[in-house]
Amino acid sequence: MGHVQEFIMLMVGAALVNNVVLVRFLGLCSFMGVTTKIDTAVGMGMATTFVMTVSSILAWAVEVFLLVPFDLGYLRTITFILVIAAVVQFTEMVIRKVSPSLFKTLGIYLPLITTNCAVLGIPLLNVQSRHDFMHSMLYGFASAFGYSLILVIFAGLRERIALNDVPRLFVGPPIGFVTASLLALAFMGFSGISAN
Amino acid sequence: MDGVVESVARVISTDGVVAWLEPEKANACGGCLSAGSCSAQGGEPGRRLSSRRFTIADTFHATVGDRIVVGLSEHALLKASATAYAIPLLLMVGIALVGQLATDNDVIAAIGAVAGLIAGLLIAKHRASRLDARGELSPYFLRFARGEGQGDNCPTD
Repeated sequence: MGHVQEFIMLMVGAALVNNVVLVRFLGLCSFMGVTTKIDTAVGMGMATTFVMTVSSILAWAVEVFLLVPFDLGYLRTITFILVIAAVVQFTEMVIRKVSPSLFKTLGIYLPLITTNCAVLGIPLLNVQSRHDFMHSMLYGFASAFGYSLILVIFAGLRERIALNDVPRLFVGPPIGFVTASLLALAFMGFSGISAN
Repeated sequence: MDGVVESVARVISTDGVVAWLEPEKANACGGCLSAGSCSAQGGEPGRRLSSRRFTIADTFHATVGDRIVVGLSEHALLKASATAYAIPLLLMVGIALVGQLATDNDVIAAIGAVAGLIAGLLIAKHRASRLDARGELSPYFLRFARGEGQGDNCPTD
């Protein structure tokens, strides 16, 4: 039972308390770029969650079985970038193999995020926190879930903003950042739930 | 009413019945005029775009080079992304978690994760073929696109 509680606290902490976008300020480019429609944001969130979780697992394996035993810690960042690039390519290859029509549909409407700093940040945070396999995977999954949640909430807010009269100087990114800061304040309400 | 998601594609060839289209370069940020000065937006090389070519019925008398807007129902896009990403991911995490809680062993959890991922992909394949058979994964012609190309939805414009 102790493990279950520990896992729940880890996931709540990663998704809500230390949200990857609002607290760690990672993935802001895609946060502003793809949140114009809720459905696109949901799709993009699912794709990013998949890539982040698998990247976290593989980065953990590379760290434990390659970088630490051979004392190659100074290559960590570039190695993780390679791991993430490989995961993205692998994901595309697998989807193409599993269903070519699915691959084409997603390819037209949902470009897979390859250059998202959040995808690199999570494996690095896993190393910093000395997470084991399960914690790495759950931390990656929960962080990505938190990222997707923010994408969807923000997309919903922007759809509403688009229907309102915004002062000319604030149209576009300025009102987006003002809204994001209010969202960050709202998420501060989760502080203290988890120590992670 | 179910909404429609739109994307711009260019006509590569047509035989009067079926038109071959190539999606325009797409990035995480939607593509924009400032792409050249942004390190996060390298665009997709031509080889990758060509691998994404698709066909639609040429009911709009296409000519090579036309830019058209193709649509897909929002519901279908959600189903497609859930099939491709959510099902394998949830099975992977779920089975690994069960393995970890049952045995308290990282190796068993890792094996469970791989098994869950494979099972998820098999289910995704089955589900995708059903969606495809119902025609839910096929985009359709909406209208001709105006303008020269990217930059329409750039957040930094």
